[in-house]
Amino acid sequence: MKVKVISRSVDDFTRERSQDLQRVFRNYDPSLRTQEKAVEYVRALNAVKLDKIFARPFIGAMDGHIDGVSCMAKNPTQLKWIFSGAMDGDIRLWDIASRRTVCQFPGHQGAIRGLTVSTDGRMLVSCGTDCTVRLWNASADNLMELSNSTKNSVEPASVHVGKNAYLAVDHQWDSELFATAGAQVDIWNHNRSEPINSFQWGSDSVISVRFNPGEPNLLATSANDRSIMLYDLRMVSPVRKMIMMTKTNSIAWNPMEPINFTAANEDGNCYSYDARKLDEAKCVHRDHVSAVMDIDYSPTGREFVTGSYDRTVRLFYYNSGHSREIYHTKRMQRVFCVKFSGDGSYVISGSDDTNLRLWKAKASEQLGVVLPRERKKHEYHAAIKKRYMHLPEVKRIERHRHLPKPIYKAAALMRAMSDAKKRKEERRKAHSAPGSVTTQPLRRRRIIKEVE
Amino acid sequence: MPETKRKHRDETNHRRGHSKPNRNSRKKKKTGPRLPSSLQKELDRLNPTAPIDSDQDIDSADGDGAERELLPQDFYEYEEQQAEEESKKNKRYDPGSVDQIQYDLPIERSDESEDEIIQSDDDNDDDDDDDGMRMTGDAADDDSSEEGDGRHTRMLQGITGMPSEAFEGKKKRKMKDDGIPELYPESEYNPSRDVVDGDGQISIDDLLNPLQDNPGFGKLRKRIQQIENNSKAIHAPLRTADQAKVERKAAYEISKKEVTKWQQIIQRNREAPTLLFDENIDLGFSTVGAIASEFEPRTEFERKMAALVSDDKVMEAYKKDGSRLLEMNTVSVEEEKDRQSRIAKMRSLLFRHELKAKRIKKIKSKTYHRLLKKDRLKTEYSKIQMDPEVAKEFAMKQERLRAEERMTLRHKNQNRWAKRILTRGLNSQDEGTRAAIAEQLQRHSELTRKMHSMKDSSSSSDGDDEDAGSDQDMGSKVLGKAIEKTMKVIQDDDETPKSGLLSLPFMRRGLEKNKAAAIEEANLALQEYKDSKKKLENSVGSEGPEATSISGRRVFGASKTQISDAGNKVKSDYNYGSSDSEDDLRASKNGNIETQRSNILQKDVNTDPVLIQEDTDNHQESVFKDFNEIVKNPGPKTTYEVSLFVSDTWKKAGNRDEKGTNVKKSAMPSGSVRQDRKDTEKEVEEDSDTDSEGQMVDRILTSGSKLSYELPSQEELIRQAFAGDDLEDEFEKDKMEILNAENPEPEKPVLLPGWGQWTHVQKKKGLPSWMLKEHENAWKKREEAIKKRKDAQLKNVIISEKLDKKAEKLHTKALPFPFTSKEAFEQSMRVPIGPESNPATAIGALNRPEVVKRPGVIIKPIQFEEVNPHEKPEERRGDKHRSKKNKGSGGRSMKKTSA
Repeated sequence: MKVKVISRSVDDFTRERSQDLQRVFRNYDPSLRTQEKAVEYVRALNAVKLDKIFARPFIGAMDGHIDGVSCMAKNPTQLKWIFSGAMDGDIRLWDIASRRTVCQFPGHQGAIRGLTVSTDGRMLVSCGTDCTVRLWNASADNLMELSNSTKNSVEPASVHVGKNAYLAVDHQWDSELFATAGAQVDIWNHNRSEPINSFQWGSDSVISVRFNPGEPNLLATSANDRSIMLYDLRMVSPVRKMIMMTKTNSIAWNPMEPINFTAANEDGNCYSYDARKLDEAKCVHRDHVSAVMDIDYSPTGREFVTGSYDRTVRLFYYNSGHSREIYHTKRMQRVFCVKFSGDGSYVISGSDDTNLRLWKAKASEQLGVVLPRERKKHEYHAAIKKRYMHLPEVKRIERHRHLPKPIYKAAALMRAMSDAKKRKEERRKAHSAPGSVTTQPLRRRRIIKEVE
Repeated sequence: MPETKRKHRDETNHRRGHSKPNRNSRKKKKTGPRLPSSLQKELDRLNPTAPIDSDQDIDSADGDGAERELLPQDFYEYEEQQAEEESKKNKRYDPGSVDQIQYDLPIERSDESEDEIIQSDDDNDDDDDDDGMRMTGDAADDDSSEEGDGRHTRMLQGITGMPSEAFEGKKKRKMKDDGIPELYPESEYNPSRDVVDGDGQISIDDLLNPLQDNPGFGKLRKRIQQIENNSKAIHAPLRTADQAKVERKAAYEISKKEVTKWQQIIQRNREAPTLLFDENIDLGFSTVGAIASEFEPRTEFERKMAALVSDDKVMEAYKKDGSRLLEMNTVSVEEEKDRQSRIAKMRSLLFRHELKAKRIKKIKSKTYHRLLKKDRLKTEYSKIQMDPEVAKEFAMKQERLRAEERMTLRHKNQNRWAKRILTRGLNSQDEGTRAAIAEQLQRHSELTRKMHSMKDSSSSSDGDDEDAGSDQDMGSKVLGKAIEKTMKVIQDDDETPKSGLLSLPFMRRGLEKNKAAAIEEANLALQEYKDSKKKLENSVGSEGPEATSISGRRVFGASKTQISDAGNKVKSDYNYGSSDSEDDLRASKNGNIETQRSNILQKDVNTDPVLIQEDTDNHQESVFKDFNEIVKNPGPKTTYEVSLFVSDTWKKAGNRDEKGTNVKKSAMPSGSVRQDRKDTEKEVEEDSDTDSEGQMVDRILTSGSKLSYELPSQEELIRQAFAGDDLEDEFEKDKMEILNAENPEPEKPVLLPGWGQWTHVQKKKGLPSWMLKEHENAWKKREEAIKKRKDAQLKNVIISEKLDKKAEKLHTKALPFPFTSKEAFEQSMRVPIGPESNPATAIGALNRPEVVKRPGVIIKPIQFEEVNPHEKPEERRGDKHRSKKNKGSGGRSMKKTSA
């Protein structure tokens, strides 16, 4: 005969410490919990609402510049340091944690247009409209020493003078090369005073340059002739050019997907391209109502941040058509540069109002030390939110954002315009012979041609 | 050496014989004296290419030249092919060497031809022919022909005054043309035309000539030969712009290919449920060993410990094999033995104790445990009796309890729970609750009774103990009461139920029969009571010990009651003579009858008067002690347990009876009970028989009552139950209502009030036709809608088609993006992922976010690694985890992070 008895082993119920929670055993039979789905739905709803309540993305502003911030560079080895360059030729190093200037790098006579730091964090490269490229010793030891001493300005390690203004600079990953853009694209070595390579394709000036961090020999530039160009340093030549309807202000490569890059366009959209297929964008990221000035990928490669001329910062998923988040403050003016922090949890924006602003990448994220139980709870909330995000109530609350009136109106206007265009297109199609009018998808529409 | 050289020359000579004139002419030109300018002009006029050619200009009018001059390299090619001939030409002017050649020829020839055949196809014919020709020529007129040639040119020169080379070329060409015109197609290999035109160029042969003596010459020559053989025509260079374009195109293709290697990694990362970025973090001291190695003793104690641990001797011994450690650790044999024996003893004790505890724990018998408890109590009592101190303490405690009870009346239905139960009605509660209430009341009475007893018997010891005298008093009282009650039963039995199950005729008949029997028995019992009462009165003193020996709790079961009323009356009164409990005879009539029956059977067994008392008590007062028992056997079969406290000690007898009624109970007979049994066996022959009979009777009785009542058929019951309800009609009505609510009937068109009323225009004309039409349409529409309903064809079903607004918020308007079917979408939300419905081990995986990163850890860009496209994601996961575990080994992980 089988006798069923309740058995409780002591080991199962003994706590290691008196603070530990008593272990609770549950019966996970779903038939006992018929309402579980409903309960989770309500929890998801509450989680979304809580997110709204806790959404406090703005951490602080860093003021000190006396002109608009035009460019920024993050130190790949130091999480809490960021360099910023202003339109008056001032370069500053900020300590994000304390939000104070650590030191300054005086020397430039005109606006700084490009800043970049070498991968080892030792060399800061700046360039500007005064036709100079300056290299600074920015190693942590040196700067720490400086910040401790009374003198807090740095002398440049070397100054290279060119013929034309420089509009952008970027450093190659894990090497001594960096590229400047201006009238042409120059490739420099730290140790040489002359560029080791110069590329010119077309006569318009190049306004942005970005090295591919995953595939360091590839670099992409955008020029005033509305083109995006790819260069390959192994082949020592430009490889492909693509011309769009509007100018591309900035380019960012996906650090986790070296074949993909996203271009911040003057028309307010961002276009994600596969470097191998430039005839069609992989994804069009809409939502900005004015030109997108700068773009930077999160180091996780799953999202990117854009700063726009419409005075907002937006965060996008790498594959979504619309932004997941918008940041704005009353005082923030045109945003000229944005950067993701090295750990992917903060966003820094530099704007025309001479300030740098520090934001959380997730608006409602809990800062500070998170206990394991808290973390589990957050994870659970995120999971159920994700699960029920398609249901109308959850979706509505999740998507709702309070916008400044001008942006709201501009967005409505743009929507109206695009709707009208679409209507017109549809009617034209309806009134012409079938097949004679074809609509180009948006991914293709803004591309004029691909030049070999 | 010169021989070999000559051989070379010979070879080349033979092969490239056709270009010899060119060489000749150039040579001559170079060496010859300069012409006067007038003559030169004249020559230019005659042969415009000549001077240009001499200047090595690229723009030669000649077709071959044009082809050659497309690329500067071509020059070289052209010149190269001339190179070998140079030697021959030189030979020309060296008769000695010529002789030599002639001498060597036959041998050379065969080799040559063979070589040629192997080498290539195109040129071979020409060359062979050439060779053949040359051979014949050479063989026929060696020097004479040469001489003749020279003379002829000189003659021409004399006549025309032109340089000899002009004629020479012409002549040579002519000769060739005449001899074998079809064998010499004009080509770069056969540039006779140039030569004819005086188109002499510096060829690579010229350049090579001085190198002949150098050691690498042979190799160089061979290479040149190869190039000659494989040479092709080369296109003109493109414009630089076009060229750049082509280059870019090629470069793009290459970089595209290069970049495509990432495809699989990207794919894998995109498909991965989670990207982990918090791996391979170098935290410095990660292992305990690393931290421990850094430890330095600071305090006195630590230093002492360190000195001991890092003692040289110990370290050495440890390092060797540890045997010395044993030596150093000296313990005396006796000590060790002592210790071992001590431990063994302890262990065995513990083991025995454990075994015993286990055995006791395994015993499931309630009786046993109860007895155990009793034993414990008894020992306590004995202690109390033995030790006045303890007794005093106990008494004080009891007193305090009693006082508390008196003050608070805690157990007299005073607490909230009891009050609530009472307000709700005791009858509507379940048995457990009622039993609990009963228990409480019992406790109250117990506590208060002690007070009485204390008052009555001024004994300082436990109030539970009762004197034999009082016991006997009680016994007689009980007997008296029993007699009274029995009489009552006999008198009361007249009333018969008018309705219900018991009113059925066959039941009534059975009841009557039973009643008759019962009365008979009651009379019998009455007589016996009286007898025993007399006996009791007679033997006051002698009865005591006997009673104690067989006293105890008597339990009677086997009563089957219909739960017409609340069923089981709970009466909790252990107080012997207290009559505050009333008996519900009407309710438990059946049971009474049955118990009476069993009593008859038991009667002869239990001749003891005290037991009889108990039996009679069973009639009147049904007392529940163990409510658990009741809970266990709910329903019609309820057991009435009667326990009486007859003796001073709380011993109970009558295990036998308990066995008879409750088979489940396994009796653990105590000594006294056994004694009792023996006694009864002595008195009566068939003890066990009676037991079984009791059971038997019980069963028969229960089954008898069941048999006697026949259930009406199901339909009948249903009809009875739902008499007067017309469900079908109601349902129809409901359905119609819902139909109307969801598809409302169109309003009837009515005459417009006031409009033309006085003239009765409306009435005369009737309703306007459009109104009627509209109405008709509305009707049609409604009918169609009703027909289209899902429940139109289903008679017994109502399917509401009204939209539920509350449910709407749980539906999406369209299928969300990543899902391809409704089922998939629903499936994605089916299983809950919360911690309440999943074990803790599964929750981590269920709730893991897409990207796991750690704040403050810099994430570096991706680095390339080979990916196996057929690898399963799980494997990779496991692999990752493994690599995570052995941090230092640097497992192959895609992302690299640094702190």
